[in-house]
Amino acid sequence: MTSREPRAPGARGHRLRAALAAICLLALAASLLSPNQPEATRARLRRFQSALAGHPGDRPEAMGFWFDPDYLGFLDEVGRRVPRAATVAVLVPPRPDLYKYQANYRLAPRRVVEERWLDEADVVATYKSEIGRGPGGEAIPGGLLWKRHSEPR
Amino acid sequence: MSLLAALASVLAGLASASAVGWAVSRAATWGLTLRERIAWALACGLNIQAFGLLVLLSLRARPSGWRLLLFDFAVAALALAMDRSRSRARAARAAESRPASRESWLVPTLLYGVAALAWSIFLGEALADSMWATDFLAFWGYKGKVIALTAEIPRRLFQDPVLYFAHREYPMLVPLSLAALAAFGGRWNDQALALFYPACALATLLAVSGFLERRVSRRAAATATALAALCAFLYRPANAGTAEIPFALALVLACSAAIDFLKEDRTSSALRLALASLFCASLKQEGALFVFLLAVVLAIHARRGDARRLRGALGALLLPVVAHWIALYLARGNQTRRDFDFTLLEPRRWAELPALFGLVLGRFARIGWTEALVPILAIAVFFLVTRRGIGDALLPVFPVQILVYAIAFTVSSFDPLYAIDGAFRRIAMTMFPAFTLVLCAREIP
Repeated sequence: MTSREPRAPGARGHRLRAALAAICLLALAASLLSPNQPEATRARLRRFQSALAGHPGDRPEAMGFWFDPDYLGFLDEVGRRVPRAATVAVLVPPRPDLYKYQANYRLAPRRVVEERWLDEADVVATYKSEIGRGPGGEAIPGGLLWKRHSEPR
Repeated sequence: MSLLAALASVLAGLASASAVGWAVSRAATWGLTLRERIAWALACGLNIQAFGLLVLLSLRARPSGWRLLLFDFAVAALALAMDRSRSRARAARAAESRPASRESWLVPTLLYGVAALAWSIFLGEALADSMWATDFLAFWGYKGKVIALTAEIPRRLFQDPVLYFAHREYPMLVPLSLAALAAFGGRWNDQALALFYPACALATLLAVSGFLERRVSRRAAATATALAALCAFLYRPANAGTAEIPFALALVLACSAAIDFLKEDRTSSALRLALASLFCASLKQEGALFVFLLAVVLAIHARRGDARRLRGALGALLLPVVAHWIALYLARGNQTRRDFDFTLLEPRRWAELPALFGLVLGRFARIGWTEALVPILAIAVFFLVTRRGIGDALLPVFPVQILVYAIAFTVSSFDPLYAIDGAFRRIAMTMFPAFTLVLCAREIP
């Protein structure tokens, strides 16, 4: 007579429930991964590696300008020419609204205003926009710049 | 400054915050696992460091790494001096209360490997570029950058009409934390500052893992940690720069403190409820709602005949929210809620509400059917085949929070469908790591 452990009542049912629970967790885990894009992930990891290596010419800000890569150069130039205490009107295409948000963020702590507050601006910068253009103005990469009032330092 | 040097300065800021948070949270976290204590230390330290920044700004001293370090050191020294007499007794009691585990290491090790891989990928992705999420550019990062570069909190952040899009009513912990971390490097480097987000993600995973290992089992802890780490809806580079990732940490800490409160008699769980409540409220507006729902759950489930202890817990949960709201009100005045059109709640517009609510529920149902059917079914079947767990009392908090989101979208100032498509998935998934506490605490037969 072989000695065998007596099986607990319902052990098979328990195993089935445990297996079902494991399958549910696996399905949940798989569904959580759905937004992953392996190619984009690989590209980001390559950029991170390159940024760590300090490759000259790498601009970590560039990805934020996917909607218009030239806009970064324009904002850089406005930032170089406009003092930090100035109010600058940045007149840009209305869509996408990232034009507006990038101008505010990149030029901070300058006060950046839209067209409706043009009167308050010391400087007007236009990019791919005819609004606010007057005679004169300085050409800068991608746009034009007008100094309207005497600027604060 | 190279990226490595900038990352090192941000890391120093995070380490300083964690160290002061460790010293201050000792009274509340004794008896917890090391992993949980690290998570509480970071959460608590971020609030202290933000307060330190406010102190320096109010003294008109330009914040620098050394000054913040000095502030953190002074607060930590004070906390340790006040707490020294009680720490030995606590350490002894904590050591007694932990039986050695005889569980297998194999499956948990594999699951922790998965979690570590997922977190490492998020770390690399988050640091690949400067942060550029719309919410970062428009308000979280914008406010932080203005504070960091001007060494003040200009009134215009809350009063200037040109900043109509910058959500003047939002809590300030994220901008203040980013500005404080920037001070450690002496400049605003929005690529290095992204380290804040993987750090919060790591603290969240540590809190999930430590709590479930202490309360349930090693396998439950590893499963929940892997699930939370794999949540690519939350831990993705587009969310670096927003408040969602730190908010997920706050929700995990709040839920773990609430479960502890329901299961034990120690006053330390009430202290943790207070810390988590402040962390929730100072990160996002919906944090106050989550805290309120937790308070309702505690009121329903707390043991009868212990009214004094329950009152203490409710006070611990609700007072920090009220105090935070009063502090913000005094600092920046009344702010309109730009997200909502409250005129819809006036009697003359009540007739519009059912159609709007139906529209919102229809969109929710569509998202559920087309995008979330598999996970919803998986969770439902999992609940059917498993037995009650220690976190079940908290289960209603999650659907009720979603229901309140539906009501909020109904009175949205914008097209509700536009608002749902833009924000719903992101804000709903902040709850997922906290939900894994409830899910994986259930007993598998």
